[in-house]
Amino acid sequence: MRSAVAAFAVGVGVVATMPLAAQRGQRGQQPPLSPRAIAPRDFTGYWVSVVTEDWRWRMVTPAKGDYDSVPLNAEGRRTADTWDPKRDEAAGEQCRSYGAPAVMRVPGRIHVTWETDTTLRIDTEAGTQTRLLRFGSDTGPTGVRPVSDPVDSLTWQGRSVASWELSGRGGGMFSRTPSRPSGALKVVTTNLKAGYLRKNGVPYSPNTVLTEYFNVLGPEDNGDIWLVVTTIVQDPQYLNGRFFTSSHFKKLPDGAAWHPDACRAS
Amino acid sequence: MSLTRTSLLFALAGVLTIPLLAQQTPAPAASPVQGRAAQPSQSLVEYDDDVQRAAPNGVDFTGEWAPRFHEDEPERVPGPELGDYLGIPINDAARMRAMTWEASIQTLPEWQCRPHSADYIWRGPSPLRIWKEVDPVSREVTAWHAEWLRSVDRSIYMDGRPHPSPNAPHTWAGFSTGKWEGDVLTIKTTHLKEGYVRRNGLPRSDAATLTEHWMLRGDVLTVAAIITDPVYLTEPFIRTTDYELDPHQWVPPYPCQVVEEVDRPRGVVPHSLPGTNNAVTDFANRCGLPVEATRGGAETMYPDFRAKIGAITSKCIAAQR
Repeated sequence: MRSAVAAFAVGVGVVATMPLAAQRGQRGQQPPLSPRAIAPRDFTGYWVSVVTEDWRWRMVTPAKGDYDSVPLNAEGRRTADTWDPKRDEAAGEQCRSYGAPAVMRVPGRIHVTWETDTTLRIDTEAGTQTRLLRFGSDTGPTGVRPVSDPVDSLTWQGRSVASWELSGRGGGMFSRTPSRPSGALKVVTTNLKAGYLRKNGVPYSPNTVLTEYFNVLGPEDNGDIWLVVTTIVQDPQYLNGRFFTSSHFKKLPDGAAWHPDACRAS
Repeated sequence: MSLTRTSLLFALAGVLTIPLLAQQTPAPAASPVQGRAAQPSQSLVEYDDDVQRAAPNGVDFTGEWAPRFHEDEPERVPGPELGDYLGIPINDAARMRAMTWEASIQTLPEWQCRPHSADYIWRGPSPLRIWKEVDPVSREVTAWHAEWLRSVDRSIYMDGRPHPSPNAPHTWAGFSTGKWEGDVLTIKTTHLKEGYVRRNGLPRSDAATLTEHWMLRGDVLTVAAIITDPVYLTEPFIRTTDYELDPHQWVPPYPCQVVEEVDRPRGVVPHSLPGTNNAVTDFANRCGLPVEATRGGAETMYPDFRAKIGAITSKCIAAQR
C-alpha cells in the first residue's frame, strides 16, 4: 500500500508540472517577431523636410569658408578651404554632400518603406539616394550586431545597422518590468566614403561613425505628424567633438509631389 | 489509511489547480504610475508587490544640460541680423512689426531683465537644468522643472490638473502640463505673455500655444518645440534643438538689475515707422540672397522654394561680422 501511495505521489508531481512545461514549450516554439512586426510607430510614408533652421546653409549653397556651427578642427578647416565644386563634378563626385551624415539635412522629400521585414528603406528626392537600415538578423528583432554586406566597400550611404530603442527594466528587488521598444529607431552607420557635411566642402572622413535617432511625433492638434531625426556625427579626423543636428519632416498624404533630383556639387 | 488517501486526493486536486489558477490570474491593474497623467496621485496605503521598478512610460530628464550650437549658431549666440526672417512662417502683420523694430528697445527699463519665454528659451544661449518633483508617498513624478540662465523656473505639471481660465494671468513660462507618449514627454503650454520667435523683432502673440516633445536618447536631449500663433503665424512653427548632458555644468545665478542705459525722454520707445527702415535689406544684400526670401513666410521653409529662387551661392561669411 505504501508503494502505491508513493507511485501515486510521483504521478501527481508529473501531472502537476505538465501545464508549466507546456507553457515553456509554447514560448519556445513561437517564432521571433520581426522588427517590422514590433515597430512602435509607423515610420513609413512620404515626408517633407521643413527648413526652419540653418536656412542659409541648406537652401542655398553656402559661401566657401562659411563653417559656422560646425565643430571643425584645424585639419577640417584646411580641407574645407580646398573645396572646389568643379573638381568634384569632373571627378564624378558630385554626390559628396548627399552621404548619410548629410543627406537628412538636405531639403527635400523622403520616402520610407519596409524593403523586407528586417530592412527599412529611405529614398531621398535630393540626390536620388537610397539608404538601407538593416536590423541585425542574427541577434533577434532588436539586435544591433552588424549584418554582413556582400561587398564591404565604402559608399555614400555606408552600412547602417538599425535597432529599436529599448526601455529599461528597472533594478533592485522584485524588478520585473520587461524591456520593450520605446518609440525610437536607432541607426548606426559606418563604412562611409568621405564626403561633405555641407555643400561648401565641410568634410567628414571614412572614419566617421554616424548615430541617428528617428522619432515619430503626433498627431498634433491640427493633424500634423512629424518625423524628427537626431543626427550625431563623430569624426576624429575633422571634428573637435560630436556634431549634433536634428532635422524635422512633416508627413505627406501621398507621393504626388515626389520629384527626385540629381546630385549637384554646388 | 482511508484518511491518508483522502488527504492525498485533496493534495492532488490542489496541486493540479495551481498552474491553472496561475494561467487565469488577471493582468494586474494599471499601476498608479501608468495613470499619472490622467488622474491626481493616490497614496499607496499598502505595499504592492506588483508595483513595477521601472516606469511603464517615460524616462528621467533630470540633469544639467549644455546647449550645443551646431544649428543656427550666429542667430542663437551673437544674435540674428536685422531683416533675417528666413524659413519662418510669419504673416504680414509679424513682418510689419519686425521691420519697425529697433534693437535699442532692449535698453528700456521694462526690457532689460525680460527673460526669454518658454518657447524661445530653447534656442537661447543658456545652460539648462532639469529636475523632478516627486510625491513623497506615491513617488510619482508630479512635475518637471526647467530653468535656464536667463529664465524663471518653469513648471510642467504631470498630475493631470487642468489649464486655468483663459482670463488667468499670462507669464513668461506660461502654464504647462505634460503627458507621456512612450518615452517622449509631450507638453502643452498656454498663457504665455507676448514674446518673440527670433531676437530681431519677430513677434509671437500672447494667444500662441506651444507644444513640445522632449526626447532623451543616450546623453542627448532633443526637444521639438512647435508654436501655433493665430495672430502672427500662418502655419505651426517647429524647431528642434539638441542639448548634451554635462554633469559638471553649473547654472549660475543671474541677478538682473535695471539701470538707466540711455538718457531719453520719458515714454519714448525706440522704433521705426513702417517703410522707413532701409537697414532691413542689409542682410539680403550682404549675403547675396533675394530680399523676397529674407522676408520669410511659410513658402520659404519648404524645399520647393529653391526652385523659385534658383541656384544661389551665398556670400555670407559669419567671421566677417
